[in-house]
Amino acid sequence: MLRIRSITKRYGDIVAVDSLSLEVHRGEIFGLLGPNGAGKSTTVHLAVGLLAPDEGTVDIGGRGAPRNPDVRRLIGVAPQALSLYDELTGEENLVFLARVYGLGAARARDRTRWALEIAGLTDRRRDRVATYSGGMKRRLNLAAALVHEPSLLLLDEPTVGVDPQSRNAIFERIETLRAGGCTIVYTTHYMEEAARLCDRVGIVDHGRLLALDTVDGLVAAHGGEPVLVVRGERGEQRIPTRDPLATLTRLAAEARVDDFRVERANLEQVFLRLTGRSLRD
Amino acid sequence: MRPILALAAKDLRLMSRNRAHLFFAFGWPLVVAVFFGLLFGGPRESAATLKVALVDEDGTEASQAFADRLAKTDGLTLSPMARADALTAVRRGTLTGAVIVTHGFGEASARPFFGVPAEISLAMDPSRRAEAAMLEGIVTGAGMQGMERLFTDTSYSKTIIDDALRDLSTSQDRVEGRDQLARFLGELRSFVDSPAARPRAGSSTTGDSAWKPVVVTKTEVATERHGPRNAFMVTFPQGVLWGVIGCAFGFALSLVIERTRGTLTRLQMSPLARAHVLAGKALACFLTILAVQALLFLVARAALGVVPDSWPLLALGSVCLAIAFVGLMMVISVLGRTEQTVGGTAWALLLPLSMLGGGMIPLFAMPSWMLPLSNVSPVKWGILALEGALWRGFSPAEMLAPCAILVAVGVAGFAIGARVFSRT
Repeated sequence: MLRIRSITKRYGDIVAVDSLSLEVHRGEIFGLLGPNGAGKSTTVHLAVGLLAPDEGTVDIGGRGAPRNPDVRRLIGVAPQALSLYDELTGEENLVFLARVYGLGAARARDRTRWALEIAGLTDRRRDRVATYSGGMKRRLNLAAALVHEPSLLLLDEPTVGVDPQSRNAIFERIETLRAGGCTIVYTTHYMEEAARLCDRVGIVDHGRLLALDTVDGLVAAHGGEPVLVVRGERGEQRIPTRDPLATLTRLAAEARVDDFRVERANLEQVFLRLTGRSLRD
Repeated sequence: MRPILALAAKDLRLMSRNRAHLFFAFGWPLVVAVFFGLLFGGPRESAATLKVALVDEDGTEASQAFADRLAKTDGLTLSPMARADALTAVRRGTLTGAVIVTHGFGEASARPFFGVPAEISLAMDPSRRAEAAMLEGIVTGAGMQGMERLFTDTSYSKTIIDDALRDLSTSQDRVEGRDQLARFLGELRSFVDSPAARPRAGSSTTGDSAWKPVVVTKTEVATERHGPRNAFMVTFPQGVLWGVIGCAFGFALSLVIERTRGTLTRLQMSPLARAHVLAGKALACFLTILAVQALLFLVARAALGVVPDSWPLLALGSVCLAIAFVGLMMVISVLGRTEQTVGGTAWALLLPLSMLGGGMIPLFAMPSWMLPLSNVSPVKWGILALEGALWRGFSPAEMLAPCAILVAVGVAGFAIGARVFSRT
């Protein structure tokens, strides 16, 4: 659905995206995980044609570059910065955007109704956006990306500044969309979100794609061995092992075991191992 | 076209919800135009006082009595003069109209029931319909007052009725309803002789009459105009310019706000080209400027007697003015990247242009050394285009220069603004 080939984007001496290549398959949620300033948003802007790459190509659904207006109709974007008209109602925002994408009046109204329902904002549709909470604005931002029925949805940090309840609501909407066959690119610096939602994750730093795989694949490849933590007769022991059950059985045979747990690597540790620094740095 | 209309509709809706923008586009110009119009004299002749010429071509006792009654009317100032002088005064606009008591008035007044009725002619500028109607009412009223004597002085009544009966019987003309009229006058004569016809002390003698004792005819005299007919003719174009400036400023700022709030980025991610975004904004600005002008001129027409020499030329001037300021809006919007920068720079630019162009001091009141300087200001050409259609009596050919300059300013401004906008 989205094919990026060796794209590079420079701002003077700063290389924002450095020979980045990736492919997003139809119907999957693809995560771009990286700290702030890693080049995720620039990659999104290149993917939607807002920026032109200095090198490389972007292809959407086999129909060419996103600078083409017809190709852009296939894409829905929820930018990181809330991009809504505060003085318009939620409904007016969505109808306007649907019309901008060329939908007729009746179709725009239908799609707006659907998008408001997806965003859980039907009851507040006639209120001005200025009166919405942060979470509601985020949901409307998502609805605005969906209203014209895109095949590819790009969500750039869609949960920034959102309370846990609204965050869960957004996750549920995204999972619903995936179930409906929508292809989603999800950029985040929260590894928990990537782990929960994404079928595959690309780890980005300094504009480069460091690794790309399923979450389990990344952890297996870059997270190191699980650590078995045992407390008992011999005090607390931390034992890296590829087979925690066998190791625990062996230890239990040797001495009394009161308590144990297995610590598995997560994406945070994967990132730490790949870059030498934390995702939240 | 559909996305452009959607963009324009969105901008108009946003503007309608911004009270400050609405006020500076519609309210402030009206305040400026009305306040300064009143300050500088308001209408040349207030509706409460009509200055009219009185031409007495009859020179009879009846015509003099009529003139005396007319002179006692509140809100009417009479200046006796000859017909030619009166018509000249009306043509020049120094008097509102002329009341001409034509020859035969006295004789006709003595025969109110039969024959040619007494005639008064009014000479008025056809555009001054309200004042003409008012004067007609006053003149008819004065004519009716002349009939008072008929019902209060029985000997006079008898003479009038006897004369009418005699005229009726001796007239060779074919008189429709001759028999009925003769019967009526006979009955009236009998009534006048009866005690019931004698007036009681303090009783009113006025009443409605089915027939017209005085016929008022009207003559149209077009005014030769050498200046604005009232102060509002000057202050409304100025007010319109302030409204137009407010519109251009507001829409320029809205484009900057789109940029700073990220909605522009969203639009740029859509299938729209930048040209669409700009065209939508320009269309909304254009329509709002036209609406501001329409509203102000309709208010001026309805409430303040500002009647343009030519509505079509006024429409032409308004459209050209709107084009010019849409272009200026585009230039203003790229003067900076933040609302503060654009706001400050825009006023620093627009205020001198407005002052220089006649937005504050009327063009005709400007010192001569300043007039050549004013040519650099589009405000001057805007005001000139409006004044040309309002009271300067411009022909279509004379409108060409200000209109062409305004369109050129608009096109150049749009091109420059769009070019800078697309680079940022």
